[in-house]
Amino acid sequence: MTSKNSFLASCKENQKRRVWVWIVAVLSQLLLYGGMTMIYLSRIKGVYANGGFKTPNAFKEGMCQAARDALGFSDNLYGTIFLLAAIIGMQGFSYLFDRKKVDMYHSVPVSKDRRFAVVYINGIVIYLVANLSGMVLGTVIAASQGAVNMDVLATAGLAFVWNLFLFLAFYHMMMLAVMLTGNRFVTVCAYLTFVLYEYGLQSQISALKRIFFNTYSEYYLGAEPKLSVIYDCTIHIWNIKNAQNAAAAAAIAMPIVAKWILIGTVFLALAYLAYKKRPSEAAGVAVAFPFMKPVAKVAVAIPVALLAGRMVYDTSYENELLQIAGMLAGGLIFCAAAEVLFDFDIRSIFRHLPSSGVALAGILAIFCIFKWDIFGYDSYIPEQNKVESIAISADGYYDNYWDENQQYLGQGEFEKENMFLTDVSPVLALAESVKGADTEQMGDARPVQILYRLTSGRMAARMIRVDYDDPGTEELLNQIFRTDAFKKGVFQGITDETSDADLTRITYSNGPARAVIPVEEAGRLREAWLKDMEQFDFTLVRHNRPCGILYFHYGDYNQRQWVVYDSFENTVSALKKLEAYYPMELDAADIESVTVTCYHNELSQQDNAVDYDMQPRAVAETWDAGYTDYTVSETFYEEEQIAQILPHIYCSWIDAPWADYKDLDDNYSLEIVFKRDSTYPYQRDNYYFGYSFYAGQVPDFVAEATAYTGESCEKSF
Amino acid sequence: MIEIHNLTKQFEDIRAVDEVSVEIKEKTVFGLIGTNGAGKSTVLRMIAGVIKPDEGTVAVDNMPVYDNVEAKKRLFFIADEPYFFVNSNARAMEKYYSGIYEAFDREEFYRYLEKFNLDKNRKISTFSKGMKKQLALLLGICAHTKYILCDETFDGLDPVMRQGIKSIFAKEMEERGLTPVIASHNLRELEDICDHVGLLHKGGVLLSRDLEDMKCNIQKVQCVFSAVEDELKALNGLEVLKKEQRGSLCTITVRSTREEVEARFATVDTIFYEVLPLSLEEIFISETEVVGYDIKKLILG
Repeated sequence: MTSKNSFLASCKENQKRRVWVWIVAVLSQLLLYGGMTMIYLSRIKGVYANGGFKTPNAFKEGMCQAARDALGFSDNLYGTIFLLAAIIGMQGFSYLFDRKKVDMYHSVPVSKDRRFAVVYINGIVIYLVANLSGMVLGTVIAASQGAVNMDVLATAGLAFVWNLFLFLAFYHMMMLAVMLTGNRFVTVCAYLTFVLYEYGLQSQISALKRIFFNTYSEYYLGAEPKLSVIYDCTIHIWNIKNAQNAAAAAAIAMPIVAKWILIGTVFLALAYLAYKKRPSEAAGVAVAFPFMKPVAKVAVAIPVALLAGRMVYDTSYENELLQIAGMLAGGLIFCAAAEVLFDFDIRSIFRHLPSSGVALAGILAIFCIFKWDIFGYDSYIPEQNKVESIAISADGYYDNYWDENQQYLGQGEFEKENMFLTDVSPVLALAESVKGADTEQMGDARPVQILYRLTSGRMAARMIRVDYDDPGTEELLNQIFRTDAFKKGVFQGITDETSDADLTRITYSNGPARAVIPVEEAGRLREAWLKDMEQFDFTLVRHNRPCGILYFHYGDYNQRQWVVYDSFENTVSALKKLEAYYPMELDAADIESVTVTCYHNELSQQDNAVDYDMQPRAVAETWDAGYTDYTVSETFYEEEQIAQILPHIYCSWIDAPWADYKDLDDNYSLEIVFKRDSTYPYQRDNYYFGYSFYAGQVPDFVAEATAYTGESCEKSF
Repeated sequence: MIEIHNLTKQFEDIRAVDEVSVEIKEKTVFGLIGTNGAGKSTVLRMIAGVIKPDEGTVAVDNMPVYDNVEAKKRLFFIADEPYFFVNSNARAMEKYYSGIYEAFDREEFYRYLEKFNLDKNRKISTFSKGMKKQLALLLGICAHTKYILCDETFDGLDPVMRQGIKSIFAKEMEERGLTPVIASHNLRELEDICDHVGLLHKGGVLLSRDLEDMKCNIQKVQCVFSAVEDELKALNGLEVLKKEQRGSLCTITVRSTREEVEARFATVDTIFYEVLPLSLEEIFISETEVVGYDIKKLILG
């Protein structure tokens, strides 16, 4: 028996007023978990019925995976968690919106603290019982079909914790929204503001940076919000879902959960404070604390105005005048709407003009800061003694990277974690050399991403454009490329022999040919390649093209590419010893035909001239008008002709990092078809491959055969 | 005792209560009279601890009431529109209040329900306005708090019910010292219930007096004096609040005891004189006219 006045009795009494919330919460969770589990399992059974699983064990694994997906981390639940938190939070405390209820609840001898605790805890109990009911139902369904194992249970347990703290973060936001407002509509607006504000503001600020700052880059430091729960849960869910097991999922999820706990605690503390300070007479008014009105108006008007300006900018073909007009109009409309909302009176549209003026001034100030780069964002280069290390990514090399859990890792992410250039002077000199430079005047302007790690612990990222054709730039890039720190930050696993344990295959390819090398040779090949890499610098990769690529395959999907150049004598020698080396130049006897396509770029450029200096609208209109096709193709079958072509071509399927694209003639492309019965060791399903001519090396007979005569001219739309 | 000192409350630009000071003594029925917007509900809500005064203090038995559970245990507040839980009945409300007020008398509550013909199982939403007020009053009475604050609670009650509630108040006052505080905009509704009346106007207190004191200290005399000298002699030294003359008939309202007035008029030569009883309404008219208000416009409409 509980005393009539005990805390539990109060909780029980309060729950009587929340019956419909119970029904909504429990039903939603039962339907979601039960439905998802049944659907996921039935899909797997369908696949099995169609012969999709080779063994019963594979089928069982598939069923367990399906149960794991249904009971574990699922973004399908986010909608209900978001809504349940809102409904439970609002229903629990919304008595504060009704004067009649406030008169009753605040006059009875129950302390504010107890009432807060009772409503708050009951809200959590509703969610917990509903969520657990759903999970239990899902688990029972999965168990009845033999789809439960320890990993499923562990993942479900972990997801329960994840979802609980996600709920709590949203719940506390809604509680604060209720405490600060006085009616349901404004509460929902406040809730959405809390949930989306940072994300919304961040994305608008990033958009302004993209529009106005030449050196802005999200390559190393993304523009992702730091405290946005909704952003966290949507972005990280994929990594967590794809984690190999519950432990790997926990490693990703727990730091995020810890952050949510922190955020949720702050919102709870603010909600409690607002609850204690909230005047009873706030029932029914829009905003409980009058001083919040101008603050809220200005704070929300700014991102709304920025969004309006951005929409106008995008739809007006990047017209800045219209952008600022759109921003001001958006800001004004929002301020007027806010005043109407605050007073529930259309006549209040022009009330409190000073705060509207502050909002507009803020909007204008933000525009000016970005438009005229008031704080010198673009010209920022840190002082050398304030830079601890640098990571740099020079345009021209792309690879796949992954982490210790075999999860995909972005190139920038990998470089950020692995490249620590302590000799920072060449990078700073490079940045200084292009400060204020006109990229239009550059021969080959390429983006270079830079991450400054400052001694203060702060990080700053910039993107500069450098001229790869400039000898000074080449020298500075050489100094950077020659460092071990750069190589380690670009070529994954360059010195990491431990990862060879996961090595499943080594192959070498010159494009069409692919040789398989025993994995036992990994050490010897690495040693040879590392020795050759001592000569690695920008000049080497800029002015030479690889003769082939070594692929180290890990697991089923991951591979690392190690480029091999003709000058890599040690590697080439090792490959030759392994009979895995194939020269880039092909043998005409192996080739069935060579189809050369000439695009006649000079003609199409004249005919379809697009002045890229024109306003975007004019460019779009030019494109919309259609273009003329000047393409001429010719296929050569004669071995003699083919033999004359082969010395002048390069396999366009081989990545040539940092190489000068002008070395190849982009006016022509070649398609080589190999003979089916040739002795060439094809390792691919394809028997035709793409090639390009080296610039200025197109044989005359080819040029004549693919000359434009006007017959193939056709108008396309 | 409830002591209200310099109570002030402002809602945005409106000063709803302006430096109100009143003492509500125990075991009396205190009537708070005022027009709509005079600040009665705001004063009651501040006494009940629902809203916090901007300035001034409210003390219930020497305890500040706002956010004070101990003080609130001594109060039961019936708002002008009492709130009942959605889809609830009298029984559900009893369960709620009996869980909060330790001294709630459940048996008495059900007994009263029967007396007042209120069905304990019927949904309150189907009750008439008067029935809801009766239920709220019964809940308040049975909560056995020392003070019961009623905001316009008697409006809409039929005379029989009013009499019933009045009897219960009388019984409870006698048995356990209940002190009802009743706010109303209608002076006539309170006349037969209140012992003490406070008149609010535009947020301030115009007057606060015991009804008996008021009745004893104001007298209305109708008379015909034999000569002007007699009139001057009779009224000399008396505080005349109002004087009306119709022909030779004078109607004079004076602040004095009945005995003193009779003694004074006995010494002068009158053709006719009579000391008449004053209604509460007339007392208020006289009192407020003195301070420059036309009470008819204020509360009698």
